[in-house]
Amino acid sequence: MSLSFPYLGTFSYVVEAIAKGMNRKDIILPHEPTYKTKQLGSRHASEFVCTPFKMLLGSLIEVLDRGAYQIIFTLFVDFCRLGYYSPLFKLILDDLGYDFELIDLDWQNKPEFFRNFKKLTGDLSAWQAFQAFRVGWIKNRYIDYTEELQFSYGAIEVNKGSTRRVAKKAFRLIVETERMSNIRKLPDVVKKMFENEVEIDKKANPLKIGVVGELYAVVEPAINLHIMKRLNDLGVITYTPITFTRWIDLGKRLNFFKKHHHKEAVKRAKPYLEYRLGGKAQESIGSAILYKEEGWDGMIHLYPFTCMPEIISRSILPQVSKEYDFPILSLVLDEHTGEAGLQTRLEAYVDLLDRKRRGDFK
Amino acid sequence: MKRVGLPRALIHYKFSELWIPFFKELGAEVVISPLTTKKIKDIAVRSAPDEDCYSTKLYFGHALVLKDKVDYLFIPRYGGYHKNKVGCPKFIGLAEVLKSMIPNLPPIIMPHFNRAKGGDPRRILLKRAFEVGLIFTKNPFKIFRAIKKAFKAFKEHKRILIIDEETLHKWELSEIILNDFPLYKDNERQLKIALVGHSYVLNDPYSSLDIRSILKNHGIDIITSEQMPRRLIEEQMGKLESDLYFEYEREILGTIMYFLENKTVDGIVHLMIFSCGPDSIAGELAARLSKRHPTIPLLQLVFDELTGEAGMRTRIEAFVDMLRRSEAEQAILLTTKIHI
Repeated sequence: MSLSFPYLGTFSYVVEAIAKGMNRKDIILPHEPTYKTKQLGSRHASEFVCTPFKMLLGSLIEVLDRGAYQIIFTLFVDFCRLGYYSPLFKLILDDLGYDFELIDLDWQNKPEFFRNFKKLTGDLSAWQAFQAFRVGWIKNRYIDYTEELQFSYGAIEVNKGSTRRVAKKAFRLIVETERMSNIRKLPDVVKKMFENEVEIDKKANPLKIGVVGELYAVVEPAINLHIMKRLNDLGVITYTPITFTRWIDLGKRLNFFKKHHHKEAVKRAKPYLEYRLGGKAQESIGSAILYKEEGWDGMIHLYPFTCMPEIISRSILPQVSKEYDFPILSLVLDEHTGEAGLQTRLEAYVDLLDRKRRGDFK
Repeated sequence: MKRVGLPRALIHYKFSELWIPFFKELGAEVVISPLTTKKIKDIAVRSAPDEDCYSTKLYFGHALVLKDKVDYLFIPRYGGYHKNKVGCPKFIGLAEVLKSMIPNLPPIIMPHFNRAKGGDPRRILLKRAFEVGLIFTKNPFKIFRAIKKAFKAFKEHKRILIIDEETLHKWELSEIILNDFPLYKDNERQLKIALVGHSYVLNDPYSSLDIRSILKNHGIDIITSEQMPRRLIEEQMGKLESDLYFEYEREILGTIMYFLENKTVDGIVHLMIFSCGPDSIAGELAARLSKRHPTIPLLQLVFDELTGEAGMRTRIEAFVDMLRRSEAEQAILLTTKIHI
């Protein structure tokens, strides 16, 4: 009855942490998707379904081949195909002859969510299961924080690759830390780790770019071909507001005093896109305006091929870019996206930002 | 008299019977874009975003054709009428995308209505319709009369379009014909096909490469997914393990599942549009389900702006030939009983 889940960027660490908290010893950790994973997924998925579907399917097939039985997945009804991923996975994997159990965690149906969640925990009480989940969302905060540090230190590091090593160590540390009193100390510990172990160039004046777009395209390095790292290597600090925090972090959601970036962004997007239409369409447009006001240099908008809501925001973003004089690069990603092409476009974009900052265009 | 333009694409095919009487009653001149032609398609492909689905691209073409001929463009932002079923997000974003991408468009009337996902209550629809009416007349009674008349016309249109179960059974027994009379050929088995797809594909001869008349000329009697009784579709949807929440795909998948189960047609032709999001889900589901009930063959045709007519005709011919040669017993036993 081994437990597994499809690979999903750094969120995999959170799922791993939650599963550990639930006393599950039989976890099969998914590997990072490779070229083979993409091929495997596209072979069995329908032709023009969105790329995340294909990649998650490939990742699922890989963990099933390694002997997984219980699979954690999510259901989410929206103006988007995500809500129908898991029924289709079931059909496709059934046809391929796998024996498995897909456990859908449906966040919109909360009693069902905790009932399914309980199914995963075995002999834990409901309260203990909830505690495991709570530890998960708190660790998610720190993992996001680590990523944030990683992508700012990465731009100004002296020895290439040192940030990445430290970040990897930090992620492991966060997953493995157990008691609540120790977990609460993690942000300081992680910060110290970066300060002590990464040598930075203090004279550097790096560009700052926000990365927004569709959730999967932003958080999964295998589909965006490590775009954050690529930008770091070009000497650019990156930051993304798109993380899982807003869904699983109940503590933050219930805290009325907390300001949420995505809520603010949706408000600012109203003149361009008045009503909600799923995905992060409104948020992508609003973020552009917010980042401009915060004085960032540019924004990159990522979305997978055939993503319905993001095509809409992609069509409107040129107007926002023009009206606010804010350079925005929209990139469509799918399983055939080539590294060289992406690299060239990023380099050209960063050059443009650099010249804009120096005032060459005035 | 103010002229209002309705692009003949996407949800126009669903709601034209509602909009046209409404604007006519308000005293506006209704200008509908012509049927899709090659010219419109060329404009559409040139001006629309690359990644949009073929039907959405055509919408751009139709809107651009109307651009200089009207005072207002009517592009509603329609999300769905069901509480937990959603439409396509592009229907909501379309008006704003057009406004942003194409300069010098006439003012766009874009009422928003969406009940899905904790959206508007039903009464908002009246309010939105009233707001649209105020653009054309100051007389509230006139607006209410127009709304009433429009809904009545729409209801009547739906009553004629959607057949009841009794009529369906009659059709299944070959007692009546629902669409154009097929050109039957001597010495050949008479075939029945369920033609399944979005109403904006089924009813647009250009984007579906006139598949209806191709089938008619092959001597095939068709029923479309639009005509299917709602109760049967809902019944079929109940058999799915998890609820399919795309409003229009329910109709499509429900029809396919109904005929796969009841086996009262010889074949099913499913028209898909390239890069249509909901279609990719429903199409995959249909293909997987038909593999599990392999008695009724399912042909899935994907259309886009590059689809060639010759290739499509060949595929349909091959499919029809295959159906003719198949030895499905129940189909042979049914003989036509129509007397004209």
